[in-house]
Amino acid sequence: MVEAGQIALTVVMGVFLLAVAAFLTRFEDWRSYAPIASGGGYVGEQTGQAHQEKPSGISRWLTTVDHKDIGILYGLYGLTAFAWGGIAVLLMRTELATPTEAIIGANFYNALLTTHGITMLFLFGTPIIAAFGNYFIPLLIGADDMAFPRINAIAFWLLPPAAILIWIGFPLAATDIGIAPAETSWTMYTPLSVEQANPGVDLMLLGLHLSGVSATMGAINFIATIFTERGDEVGWERLDIFSWTMLTQSGLILFSFPLLGSALVMLLLDRNFGTMFFAVEGGGPMLWQHLFWFFGHPEVYILVLPPMGLVSLILPRFAGRKLFGFKFVVYSTLAIGVLSFGVWAHHMFSTGMDPRIRASFMAVSLAIAVPSAVKTFNWITTMWNGRLRLTAPMLFCIGFVQNFIIGGVTGVFLASVPVDLVLHDTYYVVGHFHFIVMGAIAVAGFAGIYYWFPLFTGRMYQKTLAKVHFWTTMIGSNLTFFAMLFLGYGGMPRRYATYLPQFTDWHLVATVGAFIMAFGQLVFVWNLVTSWLEGPRVGSGDPWDLEDDGLKTKEWTWFERKRETAIATDGGEPNEQDVRTDGGEPSGEETGSRSGRRSEEE
Amino acid sequence: MDEQPGLSDEYRKASPWPVFVAFGLAIFEVGIVMALFPVAVGGLLLFVGSVVGILRESGYVADPWKGLVTASVICLAVGGAVALTTTNAVRLRGIAVLVGGLLVLLAGVFGSFWEPAAA
Ligand code: HEM
Ligand SMILES: [Cu+2]
Repeated sequence: MVEAGQIALTVVMGVFLLAVAAFLTRFEDWRSYAPIASGGGYVGEQTGQAHQEKPSGISRWLTTVDHKDIGILYGLYGLTAFAWGGIAVLLMRTELATPTEAIIGANFYNALLTTHGITMLFLFGTPIIAAFGNYFIPLLIGADDMAFPRINAIAFWLLPPAAILIWIGFPLAATDIGIAPAETSWTMYTPLSVEQANPGVDLMLLGLHLSGVSATMGAINFIATIFTERGDEVGWERLDIFSWTMLTQSGLILFSFPLLGSALVMLLLDRNFGTMFFAVEGGGPMLWQHLFWFFGHPEVYILVLPPMGLVSLILPRFAGRKLFGFKFVVYSTLAIGVLSFGVWAHHMFSTGMDPRIRASFMAVSLAIAVPSAVKTFNWITTMWNGRLRLTAPMLFCIGFVQNFIIGGVTGVFLASVPVDLVLHDTYYVVGHFHFIVMGAIAVAGFAGIYYWFPLFTGRMYQKTLAKVHFWTTMIGSNLTFFAMLFLGYGGMPRRYATYLPQFTDWHLVATVGAFIMAFGQLVFVWNLVTSWLEGPRVGSGDPWDLEDDGLKTKEWTWFERKRETAIATDGGEPNEQDVRTDGGEPSGEETGSRSGRRSEEE
Repeated sequence: MDEQPGLSDEYRKASPWPVFVAFGLAIFEVGIVMALFPVAVGGLLLFVGSVVGILRESGYVADPWKGLVTASVICLAVGGAVALTTTNAVRLRGIAVLVGGLLVLLAGVFGSFWEPAAA
């Protein structure tokens, strides 16, 4: 039996390697001969002009090292992960609609809880930020590409195997080989995570490890790119705010992800090779908590800083003025970056640590609220007396600010030791961080997607649908997460599939809110897909009329140049009409006139 | 279309190697941790081969076959050290690296003779 299995595996590996070799020879052939036989089967970028440097079809996406393609890949990947994380949480919320274990078992609930957290943080959050970074940092700073295009591609391609390993416990549980999804929660606290014998945990740890390697490679690339690849005219004083936040974020990744990687390896060793890093005789469970949160707290700022950068970049463009106090937004970014390494133990206040140490972590945690507030005030002041244009990206930016305020203020309360001792491990904490991770981070991501949609598709989204998406997301998230805060005040502990009857009402509210949000995301995907395929072409390289306020940034200049040269070589598009953008003008033409526009593509 | 001003014409926007570097690393890790001998060996071959491939493509090594031989020395040293100093299950992993290293060495030597001037 075992022998047969080994032989079968060997055969499978052999066949796989042969297939790879065959693919590679084909590709090498293409590389040697294609430039001579120009034209032919190679597609260019949606401009009608053939580019011989990329192969066609699926190979193009498998082999690309172009930062824009990789950005798109990251984006698709992130949204796929977002969908799976969302489905997982909908199953959980359905279970939580009733106090008893009615729909899914407690173990399945725990598995979903684990996969939801890990998926959203590592497979959606970090990659969706990398999507924006890859696509736009080189354009914003006037670089040709990322500093290390191939490393960029390697970093991306580590992610699909990571996702497979993290998720594979679910399909494997249906077989009888004894592998189930992990039930460790995203914090993977020892001794629980050491004692769960299920190999599904090992697979998940491996997947996480790979995603960490990927994030680290990406971060090195961003740092190198921003330091060395800036265009001649882009000095540090002219670096845009999004690049500043990506630079800081990459620094945080560089110092925290390798630590997570090492801690994961230690955990794997404890589980499989008999080491005792986290056993009571060794470092004990507290060692894990310290290592994990030394990574874990910076991780939350890794996730929030670039979205803050997106908002700082986008919001002023629809307020008709420059970002108020630009310098201070940059300084506060750097301050948060430094401080975020000094607060990790606020996740461990209730572990019985020395009260003096606890007090100092409380002080630093309260201090970190100051730079966060600086940013908030700057966003509000930017809008104050501004000429606001309530387009979809702007709405999402304002939604970000609102949710960030609630998430931030609840965080400040948690940072205070006496309050935390009451609220720790309740739904209050869940409410706090969801206001930030969903209410702010994801919402800023939506703002970015809508803002740049014309740039990366050449088309405009459907603005009514975008507004439906906005309102369902805002109403849904506030219903759900306020209900969680109230549940926490009532003492509802987190991470349970069942609860006491007195919590039913707020849980029901939270479930309803979750489904409202889910509906909004369906609208979002629909809008994205249909507009990408057949939305109206944008009529100018400056669809948001940023020029009027002198607020145009480099990526739009690039877009303009791309359009001009594309039209020149195409001979133009005769029936191209000026498509009005989502600027508060009369609506109705966007869905109407999108026939017959598939013209000269490819 | 002036999408990438200032780039030389030889600049390629495609490379077949990154996918396989990444998948190779992933497969190798799974093989080692889950103690699946053929998977570990296969992953190692894919990883090492692709790393040498990408290094050649970007001009860091001139001769891919020599690159393979160098890489095999590293594998043999690491695998040998693990296999010699451990027992049982861990040793099996060391042997997997050792076997992988041997195959890489074979490929490198064979390639050097059979196709002296790398295509
Ligand atoms: C204003 C600054 C912030 C402060 C002072 C703060 C404070 C805290 C504290 C003290 C906890 C621990 C609560 C407990 O477990 O008892 C906590 C949990 C958490 N915070 Fe924040 N926070 C802040 C901002 C953020 C941001 C920006 C994010 C996300 C990007 C975030 C994400 C989280 C997460 C994910 C947890 C829960 C971790 C877990 O136990 O699973 N926080 N926060
Ligand atoms: Cu924290």
